[in-house]
Amino acid sequence: MTDVVTTGLLLDGLIALLLAGLAFRLLRTRDLFEAIMLFVAYGLTLALAWIRVGAPDIALAEAALGAGVTGALFLNAWHRLAVRAGSDDRLPMEADP
Amino acid sequence: MTAFLVGVAFFLVANLAGGLVRVIRGPTQADRVIAAQLFGTTGVAILLVLSVAADSRPLMDTALIFALLAVVMTVVFVKRGWVRAPGTPTAPEDA
Amino acid sequence: MTLELVVDGLTVLFLLTGCFFFLAGTVGLLRFPDVYCRLHALTKADSLGLGFVVAGVALQLRSWHEVLLLGILWFLVLSAAATICYLVASEALAQGVDPVGSGASQGQSGTEEAP
Repeated sequence: MTDVVTTGLLLDGLIALLLAGLAFRLLRTRDLFEAIMLFVAYGLTLALAWIRVGAPDIALAEAALGAGVTGALFLNAWHRLAVRAGSDDRLPMEADP
Repeated sequence: MTAFLVGVAFFLVANLAGGLVRVIRGPTQADRVIAAQLFGTTGVAILLVLSVAADSRPLMDTALIFALLAVVMTVVFVKRGWVRAPGTPTAPEDA
Repeated sequence: MTLELVVDGLTVLFLLTGCFFFLAGTVGLLRFPDVYCRLHALTKADSLGLGFVVAGVALQLRSWHEVLLLGILWFLVLSAAATICYLVASEALAQGVDPVGSGASQGQSGTEEAP
């Protein structure tokens, strides 16, 4: 029994660390495409966290809306910005880190 | 048995974190697009193992959503996300 | 009683095998030299690992309905992996990412320089 609790705590800790690391990197990066991909990854990891908390319905909504639809919309916006900036895969607002 | 299952889930989340290192470092956009498919396989496996550990049926439906999402996201990435390098024919701007 | 023991043992065996393939996929994803090799590691090894995990999980279920759902899920992931691999690889090729060992040097390089 206590074995289950310990492993569960380890799992929760790893998911929390992953979330914090993803959020940090997502806010720090200068590459918009990478930021969008990390946003999707963050949303899906957050869905895993909701599962661990015992809320599968919120996890469903987070995965479908938070990661899926929002990620697709971000990508669409990024595509339009990149096309407007010329056929270059870097946006004018980006700078090398 | 439950402790073993949660342990397997822990191992799979660690694998997921390792794959995300590639998403962060990956030099080309193709390496970053991989993130969606990574969650489509490893994330589904995590959810399935957890659904047995917690004996909860809705987790399996969440796994189904993850699998569906991976396809949709990747197709959106390929069709709308990428801007080709100069010199190659560009995709049509708007659908 | 003893049947339960056998089923549990099989589940453990399947899950451990699945974990091995997931580990192989992750190592490949981190260590392989270019995009196409990494796609191969991700879509093949991980799909096989997911197959073993599905088999292990299916042994623990009580109704055929859920087993059928798992089977459909694995088939969906398999076909998705094949489609995704083809789409991403062909688009990367169209973008000018060179496969490793092709000798060509124009366009962006898909390989990662050693740190």
